[in-house]
Amino acid sequence: MSLTGTSEVFASIDEDALNDILQAFFNARPHYRRYGSPAFVPVTTVSETAIPAIAFPGIPGGIDWRISFTTPVVDLFEQTQPLPPGMTLKPGQFSLHTDVELCVNCIARKDTRSDAAGARASRTKPRPDHVVCTKLGVFGIGHLDVWNSPNGDGAVRLRVDSVELVDIQPDSLETVLECVIKMILDGILSRIELPLKALRAGAFELIVTEGPEIEHNHIQAFGNV
Amino acid sequence: MATILAAIDEGGANTLLGDALASIPTLSKSGSGSLGPFTAGYSVQGTFAGGTVDLIAPSTVRIEHLRFNWQMTLSFGIDLDDFLPHFCLPQVCVDIPCVGHVCTPKICVSWPTIGVSVPFGDFVEATADFGIDVSLSGGQWKVQILVQNLSQLQFGPATAGILVLIGAAITPLLLAIPFIGPFLAVAVDLILAAIGVAGLTGFLGPILSPFLSGLKIPVYQQDKHFKFLPASGPVDPDVFIELDAVSAQIQHSDEDELVLSVDISP
Repeated sequence: MSLTGTSEVFASIDEDALNDILQAFFNARPHYRRYGSPAFVPVTTVSETAIPAIAFPGIPGGIDWRISFTTPVVDLFEQTQPLPPGMTLKPGQFSLHTDVELCVNCIARKDTRSDAAGARASRTKPRPDHVVCTKLGVFGIGHLDVWNSPNGDGAVRLRVDSVELVDIQPDSLETVLECVIKMILDGILSRIELPLKALRAGAFELIVTEGPEIEHNHIQAFGNV
Repeated sequence: MATILAAIDEGGANTLLGDALASIPTLSKSGSGSLGPFTAGYSVQGTFAGGTVDLIAPSTVRIEHLRFNWQMTLSFGIDLDDFLPHFCLPQVCVDIPCVGHVCTPKICVSWPTIGVSVPFGDFVEATADFGIDVSLSGGQWKVQILVQNLSQLQFGPATAGILVLIGAAITPLLLAIPFIGPFLAVAVDLILAAIGVAGLTGFLGPILSPFLSGLKIPVYQQDKHFKFLPASGPVDPDVFIELDAVSAQIQHSDEDELVLSVDISP
């Protein structure tokens, strides 16, 4: 069976190459996987993205927090990487694995008004004084979100549909954390568009007629010149 | 191995290589050669067009009816000395009383060279078998096809009329020569007829053949340090991957395809 089938042009990238592209992306732009509120990240740079602290009444300046992910490792259907029990990879899906580190600046406050005022003053130059962190292994399942235009442009995004954290008790805590991390991880990946040009290493421009889609450990697309 | 594959079938290759041929700029050269007894200077230029791609496993790209549209200006210098007898008025000496021995100079008649330029054009076609060449030079991967075998050139229908054009350009000039012009015109026409189409194509073939035999058609060209995302702001710099290895071959299954394989790393 030919690669092109009934089309003129075929392009495919295997999961190792896709992971290399993701690694190249996160190496060049690490701020896409590192986020912190002002105590951790005062200003967005190539390395980190500044986000607001979590506002809460009675906590001057809010709760400072930081979240960072390791570069996700993606496995395209068919499954070749282990998944936790209950997670299965279906046709058209990918799985990913990443480690997430969640940190909070846990400031201890005293009861005096002067201390409260001092705390407010110190919040003008927030510092990560009392940082507590946890690191969690995250497995996710997702699908491709693709677009292409008649002029040959197009891109692929990885969208996360569900995540699984392992061995967290009680289950309700696991569910809450999974929800939060799923939203954050999907938010991060949805901002990353991998152009079709990258998925074909710049070869044979094509007007996509089918795909890009996940098939046999590859992302593949068909089209015409 | 982290691999990206791109494949194109014969239909796509026809479009791709047709576009690549059309993008080759006008080629030109000049020189001189012998057309029968005449020495002719030429200036030729042309462009490629047409052709039907046939992909042949494992590594041949055949283009049938590869056409080179050419325009040529042929410059003749017809030296009438080659046609007309040389004659001289001999030196004559006389003894003149009181003057002495007086001689006239020897006077030789030198026939002129008649120059004429003849522009014309046509096309040639051939079937060319290309090999696939992959190279890494100056930090850039390049895949191109190079002619390895070229069939005999087939000239277009207008080529046969070129001798008539040459004759039509020369004849009026020769006819203008008093007394002997008509005879010269007939002589040149006879020579052109003797040269014939075979002689003409024998003249044109070596001039035009190098354009086709030296043809290189680009198929793929990318920097090894491949930028797949351009910078989009102060915190979003360019993103690159490395193209570590590139290979190309023709694969045969239920159809023939040109397949490009690229190994990458972050």
